[in-house]
Amino acid sequence: MPLAGSMDVGPLLADAPTVRLDERALHLDGVEILQVIYEIGASDVGALLPPALNPTVPPVVNVLAYRAAESPFGPFSLVQVRVIARAAVRPRAFLVSARCDNPAAGESLAGSWGYRVAPASIAMHRFHDRIECEVVAERRPILAVALVDPEPITGHDIQYAPGMHLAHVSGEGGSRPRLVQVETEYEFHRADRGRPELATFDPSAWGDTRLVPVEPVSASFTTCAVTITPVRYVCNPDLPAAEGTEHVGAS
Amino acid sequence: MNESIDSRLRWLIELVLISKSERRGGPLEFGLFIELSVPRPWAADSERRVYENALEQVRLADELGFDYVWAVEHHFLEEYSHCSAPDLFLTACAMQTSRIRVGHGVVACVPQYQSPIRVAERAAVLDILSGGRLELGTGRSATWTELGGFRANADETRKTWDEFVRVIPKMWTNERFSWKGRAFSMPERAVLPKPIQRPHPRMWVAVTSPGTELDAADRGLGCLGLSPGGFEESERKVQTYRQHIQNCDPVGEIVNDKVHTVNFLSCSHDADHARKAGLRVASIFSYMASQLLSAKEVLPTRSYPSAGLLPALRREAGGPGDAAKAFRGVTMGDPDDVAAALRQWESVGYDGINFIVNFMEVLPQQYVLDSMRLFAEEVLPRFKDAPGPAAAVVGAG
Repeated sequence: MPLAGSMDVGPLLADAPTVRLDERALHLDGVEILQVIYEIGASDVGALLPPALNPTVPPVVNVLAYRAAESPFGPFSLVQVRVIARAAVRPRAFLVSARCDNPAAGESLAGSWGYRVAPASIAMHRFHDRIECEVVAERRPILAVALVDPEPITGHDIQYAPGMHLAHVSGEGGSRPRLVQVETEYEFHRADRGRPELATFDPSAWGDTRLVPVEPVSASFTTCAVTITPVRYVCNPDLPAAEGTEHVGAS
Repeated sequence: MNESIDSRLRWLIELVLISKSERRGGPLEFGLFIELSVPRPWAADSERRVYENALEQVRLADELGFDYVWAVEHHFLEEYSHCSAPDLFLTACAMQTSRIRVGHGVVACVPQYQSPIRVAERAAVLDILSGGRLELGTGRSATWTELGGFRANADETRKTWDEFVRVIPKMWTNERFSWKGRAFSMPERAVLPKPIQRPHPRMWVAVTSPGTELDAADRGLGCLGLSPGGFEESERKVQTYRQHIQNCDPVGEIVNDKVHTVNFLSCSHDADHARKAGLRVASIFSYMASQLLSAKEVLPTRSYPSAGLLPALRREAGGPGDAAKAFRGVTMGDPDDVAAALRQWESVGYDGINFIVNFMEVLPQQYVLDSMRLFAEEVLPRFKDAPGPAAAVVGAG
């Protein structure tokens, strides 16, 4: 059998968001997305994921930065650090943590979809030769990534794995620890790819010191409309996804 | 009573399918498809045990009248496949058998993995040592795990594969050869030894992504299907391939117009047990394949418009033990079930079916061998009225 996650989710649950599942969707026009993927060290990769998920071979970290010019909460930026994984046979990305520069947006994302969000200052810069994203928290740079030498491609050439967000899911009879499967629809207007560059990555600031990027894989940039859809599935973090996945609304 | 009706119906269906397939001509061919998957935990002898079991299966297949053994080439695919030197494995197969054809299924035509010179040389040696039993399947890898491991340029693999398949037959057939190309260049040299099949061994292409069957057809190469699919989709693929190959521009001196596919074999008089055992293999195969990191998933490149084998498997399987989502047309069950499934695939237009008989050692070796024996005793004769697969001519000197 493939390697499986072995993370003790207890410590993460201590400050995990509480999600109330509802029919809410969030539609955002004019979003810019920078995605950078790096391989990470393979030793003890299982410890980076809950038992519900399997690591990929090789394990990779996915930095996903959104800049939304408009939203119900005003403009905001969101940067996620995720580990690409599998839920049984499906590609997924486990959210390690995220940073957001708009408290109202962060609160909504946490409450409806389980984004584990902390505040930070986020800047995304587009130049003709590179696209950069920098994250500063507590006056320290914790991330500086870039796509170098962009070249146009189509949005269909890019894949974004659905997220798996560890949260307390509230419902009748209290709350349960679950991985919330966050699915997003994209309507692409423009896409570029390029060389990934990672100047700064502070693993402790992102919540796991074992998360060390070691080998560049790819970088892409898109402008698109984004819809984060209502949650359809949640998963018991301590059971293999094939056994622990629950359809939202099913008794 | 019900069983008797069921059996008569099955006989009728077979009869209809036989008459349909006979219009296409040629008996269905059968092979083993070997991945050499090694489950964790890994002990000192884990890999050796898997290799020895596979060799035992190949020896038996040779005795029983199977036509081919195919071995994959994969690198770094933990547990899924530890078959990184298939030419060595296939040489061992050839040395322990007398008639079964030995096939690369497939050799990776990626210059960072190996030079086409080395592919041509090693394949020729295998052809000699096997007495002219080599089949050369070609491909280009579809995982970041492998491409990234060799720091190969994923944008280039389709183009470099094209170059490989064009130069390899020339290296075999020209006394001396020189080349200035995209993937590699070489001054004039004699690439030695030469294969003994004349004009040269048959060549194939691994077909997982939609459209690759056209790449095969346009070049006069055989179609080595590596992914399961529905009957309708498969029939369309085979028909398109057969139309295109009529107007091919062959890369070699022979056209190989055979179309093979893969399936899972589990055959027992206890049909229920056979299905359960076979589905365990199919499920774990899909599950393990899905853990790999496909090139398409992490690289924004048009060179990999689909994730190859993986989406098909993800569509077909939910996870280990998910028997409810069995592949359609699986060759599992009692001999009548297996024969009926094979007739369906034959009617789609396939010339050969290559079987995965075990994966991750989930089935006991004795069960695997018994399943192969029963298949050979009760199923294979129904398809083998005509002579076996024709090789390219084995020439003298």
